[in-house]
Amino acid sequence: MGFHIVKRDQCSLIRKCFLYVGAVAAALVMGGIVLLCLGVDPIAYYTRMFTMGTIGNRIAYKVFENYLKDFVPLALTAVALSLAFKMRFWNIGGEGQFILGAIAAAFVAFKLGPILPNAVALLCMCLCAMLAAGLYGVFAAALKVRFGTSETLMTLMLNYVALYFLTFIAEAKADWNFFLDPSSVRPVFASFAKIVSFPSILTIGKFSLNICVVFTLVIGVLMFIYQKYTKHGYEIAVVGDSAGTAHYAGMKVNTIVLRTVFLSACLIGLAAAFKVGTSGILSVSITNDVGWTGIIVAWLSQLNTAVIFIVSALICVLHYGSTVAAATFSQVDSSFANMLQGAILFMVLAADFYTRFQIVIDKKGGRSNG
Amino acid sequence: MAEPYAIEMRGICKHFGSTIANNSVDLTVKKGEILALLGENGSGKTTLMNMLSGIYKPDSGSILVDGKEVSINSPEDAKRLGIGMVHQHFKLVDVFSAADNIWMGKEKTGFVLKKDRYQQINEMITRFGFDIDPQKKVYNMSVSEKQTLEIVKVLCYGAKVIILDEPTAVLTVQEIEKLFAVLRRMKEQGHSIIIITHKLNEVMDISDRVAILRKGEYITTVETSQTNEQALTEWMVGHKVDLNIDRPVIEKTSPLLEVRDVTIRNDEGAIAIDGINFYIRGGEMLGVAGIAGCGQKELCEAIAGLRPIEKGQMIHKGENIVGLEPKAILDKGISMSFIPEDRLGMGLAPSMSITDNMILKKYSDGKGPFVDRKQGRQEAEEIIRQLSVVTPSTEIPVRRLSGGNVQKVLLGREIKANPNVIITAYPVRGLDIGSSYTIYNILNEQKKAGVGILFVGEDLDVMMALCDKIMVICHGKVMGVVHAHKTTKEELGLMMTGALDLTHKYADKPAGFAKDSRFEEHSGS
Repeated sequence: MGFHIVKRDQCSLIRKCFLYVGAVAAALVMGGIVLLCLGVDPIAYYTRMFTMGTIGNRIAYKVFENYLKDFVPLALTAVALSLAFKMRFWNIGGEGQFILGAIAAAFVAFKLGPILPNAVALLCMCLCAMLAAGLYGVFAAALKVRFGTSETLMTLMLNYVALYFLTFIAEAKADWNFFLDPSSVRPVFASFAKIVSFPSILTIGKFSLNICVVFTLVIGVLMFIYQKYTKHGYEIAVVGDSAGTAHYAGMKVNTIVLRTVFLSACLIGLAAAFKVGTSGILSVSITNDVGWTGIIVAWLSQLNTAVIFIVSALICVLHYGSTVAAATFSQVDSSFANMLQGAILFMVLAADFYTRFQIVIDKKGGRSNG
Repeated sequence: MAEPYAIEMRGICKHFGSTIANNSVDLTVKKGEILALLGENGSGKTTLMNMLSGIYKPDSGSILVDGKEVSINSPEDAKRLGIGMVHQHFKLVDVFSAADNIWMGKEKTGFVLKKDRYQQINEMITRFGFDIDPQKKVYNMSVSEKQTLEIVKVLCYGAKVIILDEPTAVLTVQEIEKLFAVLRRMKEQGHSIIIITHKLNEVMDISDRVAILRKGEYITTVETSQTNEQALTEWMVGHKVDLNIDRPVIEKTSPLLEVRDVTIRNDEGAIAIDGINFYIRGGEMLGVAGIAGCGQKELCEAIAGLRPIEKGQMIHKGENIVGLEPKAILDKGISMSFIPEDRLGMGLAPSMSITDNMILKKYSDGKGPFVDRKQGRQEAEEIIRQLSVVTPSTEIPVRRLSGGNVQKVLLGREIKANPNVIITAYPVRGLDIGSSYTIYNILNEQKKAGVGILFVGEDLDVMMALCDKIMVICHGKVMGVVHAHKTTKEELGLMMTGALDLTHKYADKPAGFAKDSRFEEHSGS
């Protein structure tokens, strides 16, 4: 008995939804088996994880506020990365660009925060973070355009340059290092939360909505329009599809590549400014791996801006929820979320295969030979 | 019947989704014969052959080899049954030598690569009567050498039935002759050959019998000696077709595009076009003939501004265009469409919709930051209607259209832009008869409207019937410009190989210089 694979003509939306939901469910079942092996009740664990411990919690609003602090940088980074990916520019330097953006934002916060009004200081933080991250991204793009280097390797290596620079700042206890807390003997980052931070604009009961969330949603809508309806967006799509054709159509391909990568890295820098501006402190793990997770989110969403927001929200639930659940279930480490995320990614890829192909079991009758 | 058929296919059906690629097709191949498989694009020839070579599996129907029913589940099975296929796109490893490409797929070769494999392969190559250096790397080979290697490969695997999918599409006249000699020799040795092609003269030349498919249906099989091109075309297309190509003669206007002493380098930095001179008048179609890769591509790209011009002048309506941006040249009304071998590489964005491809060259014309797709959609609809493009909608990615329709979209867009000079290279590459004639008509309509056309082609018969003049290039040099209705195929062939140089045929008038050239007024300014 054999089978062969046949291409599907089209796949209805209902079927697609069914497949993707099924994929996530299958990944959860796999995770459940692992949980059972660890002697944990999967239902109880998942309940705790997906509600992020909000049920029966008196500070549920706080949980949700913290959740949004994770969500904002991830969604924004994924949107930014999808812009470069659409052009087939494999920017995997989100981590590095994020770190440089964060350092620049913190620099402004320490130096200008005390002398400027809050709003102006925040604006400067955002602009400097965008510029720093943008230039860092453009550096790799310029090398590609000028010398044909691989942007994948270049952005990947620049991640580590940025990371070690941040680690250096974190550990160099010296008079010039204003990033560190002067009152501590050991090198610890100083907090500037009291000097400058992003305000909330809306309060519902005890829950207060940070302005960054609103900005992120607005930027998401703008980027959707930018990609779909503007001339720039059209150029990005053509360059991504076929650089030869873009050149033939009279487009300045190199300019488009540099411009788009700059914009992409700028948005990552902005995500970093939002992160730093809400947490009020630098840290060696400031990125929370958004540069990596963002890549997964962008691909899971098939570079669709609207879907990126949904997927980011779900992935954040996964990460944040598993941290919360880890507090209750001591046997399960919070890295369980990473395992689950990997399983979901693989299952969704499998579902993707089924949206495009179907497997047909051969009927009996054909004689084998040889 | 005394002797069973080498291959017999009975009632083969194959669907792809809702498309029917083959509907109860019957096909027989005798031992030691050459069978031509004829049909338009999308008539299911390649699908049928892929089922024979184990790439696809039929939904229903049976295949008999030497009279015994078999089931071919993989290319391995096909190989074991002595069926070998030479695909349109070669399946060779570029960085390997000829011998290693053959060795790779051989059974029982052992674990270690031994030096004597070159000798073994060489013996085999000479036994079949080929001429290939087994140590030569594939990336150093010409297209025709690669094809010979593919044939040697299937022979080495012991194929008795050899399928060739459009083998002549990429070869020159001389190479085709050579290939046909090889095929005839293989036939004498008792091999059966199935050859897929659209070119009727080749069918008449090489085959013993012809099987015809139309829209996935099996039409008939006839003896080649008892039929003619007209009859074959009618079976293939399903209705009467006029095989004559029109050459409307109209009043020519002053030179539109003049090229003088232009030298262009190729990607490797070698001289591709060497001091070329020619001109195109309005209402004139100038053919460009030459062996593949003798500088046609570089010439087209240079005119469109995509490739720097080393030296020389190019004027359009008396104005210099050397060194202008591609966009500026487009705006002057010079349109270039080049159909590369993969058909999608240049001029179209394959994963974008027809609408998006329509606006490719003018998306930036409108004011404001937004792209205007409304006009593009309207033009897409017009082209679909006027050129009868087969597509479910204007929003389908171009990649999903079949070859002929892709080329109609490309040419349609170029014409919609109202150019005054059309540079078109291989516009009918790989197209079936019906679509080719549509394209010829489109070009003739443009010519009648006073457009100057540069037609880079491969089929000399077509160029002699369609063009007004033919310029022959050999190794980047012009060998002469001849009147299409006065020249012969032999003369063109000699010029293409560089054996005949007609540039100094007329002492008073060097080839490629217009009497009423506008260079003088240009150099004065």
